[in-house]
Amino acid sequence: MNTLILRRHWRAFAGIAEMTPKFFLAYRAWVWLAFFSQGLSMTIFLFFWRAVYENTDQIGGLNLDQTLTYVLLAQVISLSVWTNVVSNMGHMVREGQIGVEFLRPIDFQWAQYLGGISQLAISLLLNLPLLGLALLYGAQLPTDVRVWIAFLVSLFLGYTVIFLFDWCIACLVFYTTEVWGLMVFLTGVSAFFSGVLIPLVMMPTWLQTIAAALPFSQVVFVPVGLLSGTIPLTEAPARWLTQLIWVIGLAIVSRICFQIASRKVTVQGG
Amino acid sequence: MVIQVENLSKIYRINQKTPGLGGALKSLFRPQYLDKVAVDGISFEVGQGEIVGYIGVNGAGKSTTIKMLTGILAPTTGSVRVLGRDPHQERVANAREIGAVFGQRTQLWWDLALIESLNMIGKLYDLPPAHYRDQLARFTEMLDLGEILHIPIRNMSLGQKMRAELAATLIHDPKVVYLDEPTIGLDLMVKEKIRAFIKQENRERGITVVLTTHDLGDIEELCQRVIMIDMGKVIYDGALQTIRDRFGKYRTITLELSAMLGTGDLDLLDDTEIEAIDGHKWRIRFDRTRTSASKVAAHVMNQVDVNDFSLTEPDLTGIVKQIYQGALNDIKVSTGELAQVTV
Repeated sequence: MNTLILRRHWRAFAGIAEMTPKFFLAYRAWVWLAFFSQGLSMTIFLFFWRAVYENTDQIGGLNLDQTLTYVLLAQVISLSVWTNVVSNMGHMVREGQIGVEFLRPIDFQWAQYLGGISQLAISLLLNLPLLGLALLYGAQLPTDVRVWIAFLVSLFLGYTVIFLFDWCIACLVFYTTEVWGLMVFLTGVSAFFSGVLIPLVMMPTWLQTIAAALPFSQVVFVPVGLLSGTIPLTEAPARWLTQLIWVIGLAIVSRICFQIASRKVTVQGG
Repeated sequence: MVIQVENLSKIYRINQKTPGLGGALKSLFRPQYLDKVAVDGISFEVGQGEIVGYIGVNGAGKSTTIKMLTGILAPTTGSVRVLGRDPHQERVANAREIGAVFGQRTQLWWDLALIESLNMIGKLYDLPPAHYRDQLARFTEMLDLGEILHIPIRNMSLGQKMRAELAATLIHDPKVVYLDEPTIGLDLMVKEKIRAFIKQENRERGITVVLTTHDLGDIEELCQRVIMIDMGKVIYDGALQTIRDRFGKYRTITLELSAMLGTGDLDLLDDTEIEAIDGHKWRIRFDRTRTSASKVAAHVMNQVDVNDFSLTEPDLTGIVKQIYQGALNDIKVSTGELAQVTV
């Protein structure tokens, strides 16, 4: 059924994908600001991990070069992979704009998802200069094309997982009409368990178990792990399968959540 | 029938908040809800090509009804069918064939130039490019879009924005259009342009229009039929002409007398009635089908000197006010003339 939606509305979806960058680039100043703050935090990470490795060669099975590669690449892609589903939905519900979105002749979730994918692609391209900085700081990029493909596939699947997970959370907005607390909570938890701050393999086993039970690691730890070599290429198919299961499960749950939540919708100002 | 509404109700559940910190805490743990009935068991049908004025005071339930018709809101009870579909259940299919303007919201993209927004809408509805270009050319001429096509929506004046909004709403050839206060806050020139546009689209393409407005000029200009709603219930559904005839029978003449007189001091003709006496000023209402202003005035002038007089034509504002105040109830009871009244 979903592929049917895609085929019937491909022009609509192509339009959305094409339009998203225009909005994104409308906030150019913001893009630059994020750029500089991310460069700064990469510098901090560099000195931090050098200091940590001063007295030891290996932590969690990783040496300094491996850790730096992982951490710096994670910083580069972490600017791009988080969705703004929760804040968007919150804004639309609060302002009553959701009513207008419901009048569009396309599936609301698909439209938002394709907008998100388009934004992911643009954002990755825009952040390429940060990759240069990562290389300058000692990150090592793979030369094997298969590794790049494994990375891109898992990044795409991982983004889908996070999108659908955020969609479920965003449905709460219909009940609370308040998003700030929700977002602070989500940002904190996801930063910790996604592997943006440290490679998950360095965590104690029980924390790793929790991280594996949460969806966040699918979008940072798995793709960056593959790209940096922390996760060997041979494990890629198994990782994809896990991601695919997440996608299918969350797709169903998010549909049901939205069905229930949207029945509840009380468009503000009506 | 294009629109069928049967026994439709919407009840909002509102979280009651008691003031102060204590109240905020209390509502966190034991929320108090208040059920507000916004729409209360209404039924009506709209045929193809009709322009129906859906009117009522603020909070009467107009917008809530429109939102259920468009599929944005789910009804609490009752049913809505638009072009044979349940608009909430089949939202996307419904959306392809309808258009809606909500006077206070926009379906255009704030930061994009109008032409980019319209192109996007053309793609969303999958319009054949040639057809889209024809529509765009037609609308550009009728709505004077030429000068604003390349301006971002956020830089537009209210009148420009509404013209842009109408173009965006009608460009995909919808069969049914809902206009929720399309002329709110606009100057007369723009209002007229918009009315002419709606009229033409209705006449030439047979689109069905449901219009809510506080502007009775819109109603008089566009609608043959009005549905009046108050406190969530339909209080009148019928021809505009019926109301105008019924209430339009009366005129009011205001006479400024040279002397202060009491009610009993002046003899009045039959078919007249004192509406108010304010010092020297007497407001007298008369049935113009039975007598005339000159007869009423002459009869008074025979008894007392009159310094000045003026005649008031009834307008819809006055009529609607009377209906809201229950005049229709009385009339229905006393004469039974308005058979369509569904109180």
